[in-house]
Amino acid sequence: MSHAESVASIKEPGGAQARRRRSRGPARYSALDIFRRGVTNSDWPRSFRQHDLAKSYDVVIIGAGVHGLACAYYLAANHGITNVAVLDKSYMGGGGSGRNTAIIRSNYLTPEGVRFYDRSVVLYQNLAADLNYNVMFSQRGHLTLAHTDASLRTMNWRAEVNKLQGINSSVIDAAEVGRIVKYLDVSDRPRYPILGALYHPPGGIIRHDAVNWGYARAADHLGVQIHQQTEVLGIETAGGKVTGVRTNRGAISAPIVVNCTAGWATTISDMVDVKMPLITHPLQAAVTEPVKVFLPTVIVSGSLHVYVSQTDRGELVFGASVDPYPSYSMRGSLEFTESVASHILELIPSIGSLKVLRQWAGLCDMTPDYSPIMGVTPVDGFLVDVGWGTYGFKAGPVSGEAMAALIATGRVPEIISAFDLARFADGRLVGEKGAASVGH
Amino acid sequence: MSKPVSSRINSQSGEVIDRTKPINFTWNGQPLTAYEGDTIVSALMASGVQVISRSFKYHRPRGVLSASYVDPNCSVTVSDEPNVRGAHRRLREGDDVRAQNAWPSLKLDVRAVNQLVGRFLGPGFYYKTFIKPQFLWPSYQKVLSRFAPGGSPPAPGGGHGNFDKRYTHPDVLVAGAGPAGIAAAIEAARAGVKVMLVEEEYEIGGHLRYGGPEALAALAALRAEVNSYHNIEVLTDSVVTGRYDDNWVAVVQRSGVWSHERLIKARVGTLVVAPGLIERPYVFAGNDLPGVMLSTAAMRLLELHAVRPGTRAVILTANTSGDEAVERLRSAGVEIALVIDARTGVTLRRAIGRGRLKAVECADGTKIPADLLITATGWTAPTSLLNMAGDRPIWDPVAARFFPSELIPPSVMATGGIVGDGTIDQLIKHGRAVGAEAAARATGATPTPVPPLTREAHPALFHGPTTGFLDFSEDVKSKDIMAAVKEGYDSAELAKRFTTSGMGTSQGKLENVNAMAILAEATGRDLESTGTTIWRPPYAPISLGALAGRAFDPVRISPMQPWHVEHGAVPLIAGQWIRPEHYGDPSAEAQNVRTHVGIIDVTPLGKIDLQGPDVVKLLNLVYTNNWDNLQIGSVRYGVMCAEDGVVMDDGVTARLGTNHYLMTTTSSGAATVWETLEMWLQTSHPDWSVNVTPVTTAMASINIAGPNSRELLGRLTDIDLSPEAFGYMKVRTGSIAGVPDCVVWRIGFTGELSYEIHVPASFGLHVWETLLSVGADLGVSPFGVEAQRILRLEKGHLIVGQDTDGLTKAYEAGLGPLVKLGKDDFSGLPELRWQESLAGAHSQLVAIETTDPQLVPPEASQLVVGMAEIVGRITSSRMSPTLKRSIALARVSGELSVPGSRLTIVLPNGSRAEAVVRENLSFIDPEGVRLHG
Amino acid sequence: MILIDCPYCGPRNSTEFRHAGEAGKKRDVTTNDPAVWRRYLYQQDNPLGWVRENWFHTAGCRQFLCAERNTQTNEFRWVAPAGSPGPDGASDNGSAR
Ligand SMILES: Cc1cc2nc3c(=O)[nH]c(=O)nc-3n(C[C@H](O)[C@H](O)[C@H](O)COP(=O)(O)OP(=O)(O)OC[C@H]3O[C@@H](n4cnc5c(N)ncnc54)[C@H](O)[C@@H]3O)c2cc1C
Ligand SMILES: [Zn+2]
Repeated sequence: MSHAESVASIKEPGGAQARRRRSRGPARYSALDIFRRGVTNSDWPRSFRQHDLAKSYDVVIIGAGVHGLACAYYLAANHGITNVAVLDKSYMGGGGSGRNTAIIRSNYLTPEGVRFYDRSVVLYQNLAADLNYNVMFSQRGHLTLAHTDASLRTMNWRAEVNKLQGINSSVIDAAEVGRIVKYLDVSDRPRYPILGALYHPPGGIIRHDAVNWGYARAADHLGVQIHQQTEVLGIETAGGKVTGVRTNRGAISAPIVVNCTAGWATTISDMVDVKMPLITHPLQAAVTEPVKVFLPTVIVSGSLHVYVSQTDRGELVFGASVDPYPSYSMRGSLEFTESVASHILELIPSIGSLKVLRQWAGLCDMTPDYSPIMGVTPVDGFLVDVGWGTYGFKAGPVSGEAMAALIATGRVPEIISAFDLARFADGRLVGEKGAASVGH
Repeated sequence: MSKPVSSRINSQSGEVIDRTKPINFTWNGQPLTAYEGDTIVSALMASGVQVISRSFKYHRPRGVLSASYVDPNCSVTVSDEPNVRGAHRRLREGDDVRAQNAWPSLKLDVRAVNQLVGRFLGPGFYYKTFIKPQFLWPSYQKVLSRFAPGGSPPAPGGGHGNFDKRYTHPDVLVAGAGPAGIAAAIEAARAGVKVMLVEEEYEIGGHLRYGGPEALAALAALRAEVNSYHNIEVLTDSVVTGRYDDNWVAVVQRSGVWSHERLIKARVGTLVVAPGLIERPYVFAGNDLPGVMLSTAAMRLLELHAVRPGTRAVILTANTSGDEAVERLRSAGVEIALVIDARTGVTLRRAIGRGRLKAVECADGTKIPADLLITATGWTAPTSLLNMAGDRPIWDPVAARFFPSELIPPSVMATGGIVGDGTIDQLIKHGRAVGAEAAARATGATPTPVPPLTREAHPALFHGPTTGFLDFSEDVKSKDIMAAVKEGYDSAELAKRFTTSGMGTSQGKLENVNAMAILAEATGRDLESTGTTIWRPPYAPISLGALAGRAFDPVRISPMQPWHVEHGAVPLIAGQWIRPEHYGDPSAEAQNVRTHVGIIDVTPLGKIDLQGPDVVKLLNLVYTNNWDNLQIGSVRYGVMCAEDGVVMDDGVTARLGTNHYLMTTTSSGAATVWETLEMWLQTSHPDWSVNVTPVTTAMASINIAGPNSRELLGRLTDIDLSPEAFGYMKVRTGSIAGVPDCVVWRIGFTGELSYEIHVPASFGLHVWETLLSVGADLGVSPFGVEAQRILRLEKGHLIVGQDTDGLTKAYEAGLGPLVKLGKDDFSGLPELRWQESLAGAHSQLVAIETTDPQLVPPEASQLVVGMAEIVGRITSSRMSPTLKRSIALARVSGELSVPGSRLTIVLPNGSRAEAVVRENLSFIDPEGVRLHG
Repeated sequence: MILIDCPYCGPRNSTEFRHAGEAGKKRDVTTNDPAVWRRYLYQQDNPLGWVRENWFHTAGCRQFLCAERNTQTNEFRWVAPAGSPGPDGASDNGSAR
């Protein structure tokens, strides 16, 4: 049974009334409303509607991750373009956007990168109010530890570039690190003692699902159609121009098709023969059972290839760098949990009895310079917003905003101009490896 | 006090407690006693304690549900170990056991007020609230985070504990020692292969252990058979946590001779999955009250621990497990108030009570007083290990549980309850057949299928007419799923994420199937099309300590390192190497090199011996410069670029004989260069004949630098050091301090007359000490890496990786003169050709002098134009002891790289300073007079 | 953890090896077209399915190997010394890089 059939059996709140409510906007979430519904035991309205696939749309976005959903939202909200379909072969947020460790920061290395990610942080700061959906952005601070001279040098470099862009970022010494995070071993006992850290107070974590759902709900309300379980099987072109897509639910015509499929981006671009320097690697993560909250900040150690944060629910969330070979397989490995555990215990020796509860993997579309690929391609109407590697969740808002502007105006916004596909052939790489290989 | 609901009964034939061995422990500080073999929870219940924990969200009192490892209500803290599974862990003498997630106490938990506001705390509550005003969110969040469940993390301090790992290669590994699993192990062993039998509980036997006399007899026979095979290794209190690619299997051994968990990594021939079935809770109002439990929980308590779980019971049964529980409870003296046979279509409405079960309300509204309610409504197949092997289980509506699909690879098999039903004999028979086949497959036989077990019909029961708890560890109710669906979170994944059902410490083992069933109903689908249950690893939680094992990270040191330590060297951690940063005063060490002579231990330099007729071809390919005419007895500096033209490594290579060369690399680049050489030889030029041998640690290396270096070395060697006989950039071999076969070359990273000597590693310390003792009158002293950095900076020599970065190509690093674009081929050639054609319109490495000679701009300080336009950065800077002024190298954009350009530096504190670009990279001796002396 | 059947050493854990990129890339140092060279530098086929690639047995025989692996399942169907003609007999022109 296809998804379309199965959802048909779900009762929508009755016709005219529902339509009226929709036209007034999605149910505003407020304390009062929660109280009212609690007392009257009444249901919340649907946040996302189900639609039949239309014959044509002005814009088709492939991938209902944070990038696709944000792009759709800003198309509708900022430019009034609402005849938009977001297609996903799975459920919304089923890709990296529902599997990431939700670290948000802007302490990158290049001026282009810093400016770009900083805009995203600003958008994230206002996102809950914008979407009327609490995305639980916690700017708890972000520490990138340095254990070697070389990494300390990179931290200093990043700090100086950051400061010039007005980003709150500085290098602190080991003692200060120990004051901020009591559980860290800042002595010289470990094999690689902590020499200092890049401290970025505005960095933090967010509730990734809430971001995805908040964008989806707001976009849906503005008229965007989100089609889950809808797989793009081919892209139609005529005379070097995109004309539409073929899906498992039928064909759609559209003059603009946006590739927002991250780890699967090659499979989509291959449909129109647009070659991109991407390689797909799994990236893994794991969580422990909850314990009372004791870790105040996000902690990243590039030298030890590990990072950790603690959710408000008390779970420790771990991650590392990508798996050592390319793959589309999302089965986790034992090596990953072993290496994460051994490195975490180097940093926080007392927590050996905490237990790993779950591990998982997502796919990352790695680029040679650890910067994204955004904008136009040699095929007219085929746009890309890919190359998000291990760091793309934080870029969802700014990317959506910029891609929407590109679609609406036909001009590449300044803030993403450095990330064009042509830069590889032109030799204009935007090197972010030093700032993005572990500390997504 | 009223009479306790639960208590110890007389001896049971299958009991695992040893009544001759009492154990003392404390519960929230109160002293209690138990017997060896008691779990924490059986001991508590025997002492009349029913409330073990408070729930996550609503802080409701909770008691035993499954009495097994996955029991979501029995997590406790033991000493400083949080989240101990109290229904599994056996007590040890003196255990200090405490309830968690309750404040101020388990009895009176103030956060239980959440129950009153529960109707407002529906799924997605957080997403809908605290949105405005935004500035208050951080404070709300601090409050929320105080509600995190679980125990407290062990306090900081101390090391990471003693955890071991073990590797093993069993032909057959059986996960689960119920009747089928044991039988499989026996039969595999009979075939003569190596077998490992892993059981999560403390004894093998599975449900036979609490299945009555017939089951105990069968178990005794199986045990005897297992014991007769020395090729079966039995691991109890151990669990298979994961099956990874190519049958890489993780087993965590929870108790043993060591105090902590141990990870066993097994490369398994055939994995036999035999985890049995997990009893599924039933969803109805009040289903989380202490006193409501599963039939298997009651039987475990009764048969294994001789604990009577209540005094007056109602039983809701849909299968033989429930029926048996009735009999067993009755014979243990429990009054059976009512048996509801769910097979006839009747059910119960709700459980009533406040903090503990008081009565059961039947479908017809009658209320039966009871302190125990047993449910036996169905089973969940824990297919986790099969999922990890690629299986997608399929719902069987007749048997009302999931069964494995056809997607299992031949290296994985399954037996027992997970694949079917049967009598004990039938299960054993199937296990034997699977075991024999598993052994055959492990030894290379073509797989043949084993006839399947039959499947028995079972009513599909998930919930009663009321709503109740679906996920006990997350406090998710069945109506939360309904609400999620109505809001549009209507697929298995979205509903799970929105409600957090299945995300808690029982990992969905008890909850997932009920959640799917309720979701299916809410969306009007059937269970089959709603989805399947796919568990992510690990199958059971595993401690960080077990995963980590011992801290193991090798350290590399030179043979002279102990000497350095003895002489006060401050260690520098340089990748794997530990080397002396300095011996107290790096500036003085540097000055001594300029005025007298110093020696530095440069053993970590990568050293690669190259022999064969085609070495020159290889050198021409990996280095940017030309190697055609290097004479025997000469050395040459070279730079290696990657294919993108980015500077990758540098070093000198010497020609020792017609076909014999010795290459040096940076210490951090040694491994990469070695691999790069192999890569070119093996993948592009297999016809070239070159032998590549890394000799880094075979030789100790010492650099002797300073005006007195010739004199010093001359006292120890038979090599003629006269400038005429041994000029700059030459290499000689000979004996040093009586050690034959040493290689000496004359180079000058420091800018001084200097000799780098490579001696057999075992003589490194001897040569080092001899140099110091014979050179005392020449003013010889050791210098460390920091002094070397100062010296090389004075000389204007770059360090790859510091003065270059991941995008710096050769011309940008001022290495243009070393790039021979006329060569046919070398790594990075096209990129460098294009960079050269830019004629300097790219960033450059320059030496700069600050206007204020005393100001050393910290490395990484940025160079700017205007307010904040970045045009470069300081890559190296020091106070020069020789020049008594600040010196620095910087990367700067092309326009600003011309000598005399004025630069603006932004210092880390935000203030600005001025500097000027120098003519030459060398601050001292640009003509190289000292070097060539 | 996947096993790689090294033609020199036998089956070994993948952690002993380093993935060394897709095989069969064309290297033309004489090209005057930056786009051609940079395609060689940066472009990867990145297929979902079977891929021909190189591995280096770092902690074993230190030989480069050529293999065919399915990127969806990580299954290997062919492992051979670098530069070997493929299982279908097709050669990589020796440029196994
Ligand atoms: C473990 C892990 C941790 C991470 N941690 C962080 C972090 O801390 N911070 C950070 O900023 N980033 C992080 N990332 C990276 C981040 O998750 C991704 O870069 C980001 O989510 C990409 O978003 P997206 O919307 O572009 O793609 P995705 O969210 O991956 O969405 C792509 C969608 O495309 C769909 N799709 C694919 N093919 C088709 C087709 N043919 N037809 C229709 N639909 C299709 C997929 O189903 C998928 O839903 C992490 C990633 C992982 C895996
Ligand atoms: Zn090998």
